[in-house]
Amino acid sequence: MRRRSFVSSSLTTLIFARKLWSQDQVWVCPMDPDVRSSVAGVCPRCGMKLAANLPEATEYHMDLSTLPRALEPGQPIQLTFAIHDPWKGRPVTNFQLVHEKLFHMFVVSQDLEFFLHNHPVFQPDGSFRYDNLTLPKAGMYRVLGDFYPDGATPQLIAKTMIVPGTPPAPVHLSRDYSPKDATNMQVEFRTDPPQAIAGLKTQLHFTIKPADGFEKYLGAWGHMLAASEDLIDLIHTHPFIADGGPNVQFNLTFPRPGNYRVWVQFQRAGVVNTAHFDIPVQELQ
Amino acid sequence: MTRCLLLLTACFAAQAHDIITTSITFSRDIARIVNNHCASCHHPGGMAFSLMTYADARPWAVAIKEEILRRRMPPWGAIKGFGEFRNDQALTPEEMERIVSWTDGGVPEGEPKDMPEPPKSLEPETFRHGKGELSATGEFALTRAFVLDGLWPEKVPEKGSFQITAQLPDGTIQPLLWLQDYKAQFGHPFLFQTPVNLPARTVIRGIPPGAKIALLPKK
Repeated sequence: MRRRSFVSSSLTTLIFARKLWSQDQVWVCPMDPDVRSSVAGVCPRCGMKLAANLPEATEYHMDLSTLPRALEPGQPIQLTFAIHDPWKGRPVTNFQLVHEKLFHMFVVSQDLEFFLHNHPVFQPDGSFRYDNLTLPKAGMYRVLGDFYPDGATPQLIAKTMIVPGTPPAPVHLSRDYSPKDATNMQVEFRTDPPQAIAGLKTQLHFTIKPADGFEKYLGAWGHMLAASEDLIDLIHTHPFIADGGPNVQFNLTFPRPGNYRVWVQFQRAGVVNTAHFDIPVQELQ
Repeated sequence: MTRCLLLLTACFAAQAHDIITTSITFSRDIARIVNNHCASCHHPGGMAFSLMTYADARPWAVAIKEEILRRRMPPWGAIKGFGEFRNDQALTPEEMERIVSWTDGGVPEGEPKDMPEPPKSLEPETFRHGKGELSATGEFALTRAFVLDGLWPEKVPEKGSFQITAQLPDGTIQPLLWLQDYKAQFGHPFLFQTPVNLPARTVIRGIPPGAKIALLPKK
């Protein structure tokens, strides 16, 4: 059954891709640009509304400021994100929803122990503000802003905050595929191929138990943030295959060899569950 | 089964041996990335082989994917999000994803009518050292206020990886530049999107032993 679905899906993709080459009007998923259609609709992968004739991808500027400016471990801070256009640096004040929110913020600590996915609040001046973030310890924190300016393409922009003090020792992750008990579900994990290879597509398969009450979280069946242990690579993605059943598949191409931590978020019965797994990625031999 | 085979044959006919599973094409997507990030070197008569046409780029598709994923190309050097630069040449995550989808999806050419105009100028930007620069080594304390317009690695050990920060007198630590696996090609100015005001007694940290970094003043 699974094999038949795969063949059918591949054929549909092939015909779909081929057909699009000869058409002028193309509807593109702003978040998954390889998902294109000749008709309006929503992305079958991430649920975002397809956009007609998406403009050329251009990177916007995201300024991050904190209050107070000087950070201290354990001290609550306020974050403000101000977006400017890349041409004249004008403030951007109009945004489209991305998975039910105008702004998604991810924060990851240098030791990969701290993870946050939350949503700064839109302000009358067009900026986004997040109050009472407490960074637990000294060291580097990477911040990822995910937003979609009107008339542009979705943006995924990284920033860095540094909390003074002695930073944690460098992280050396090792393989951890063990099942995780989250708030109201257990999450099992495997990859195909079993050994992930840099530069090649890896399927990440999750099975959630129990699956009754499994529901979409922010418009998608799941959310994933993958981070290399050196925090150079940060990847935010959504399921490639999911239908509300217990099995959820993400596809990911790990860019470089090394160890990665992936955080996944699934919602069941109104409760958001977060689990993480550690994946060693090898060089192609 | 026969119907499936006929359908597959029809789908693949135009692309010889490639199985096309993506709608990302060279003409519509990849050529724009090449124009913006690669063309200054990779053009006919340029410093490296041309990637300007589908015929030029097609044989290099897998190598392009590997080079951009490893961040060896374009030879920019700075990790995104640690300082923001107005001459940033790094690919965005979205651009990297498009190249991966194109390569893994059979490297389709697309329609010639979708090709963008070639860049107006193919000359790489050139820079010269100017007056008022400070040459920083080790832990470097500023004795006067300085408006920092950029950093220019002058001498850095090969394959060095380091983060340069500015610790201001109020305790704030500002990320300036993160270089990973340094190569001589990274020895160009990194010009900030917005100049950074550094008060006197600011300490520049993170410059590794044996390295020298020019602090460029705002003109």
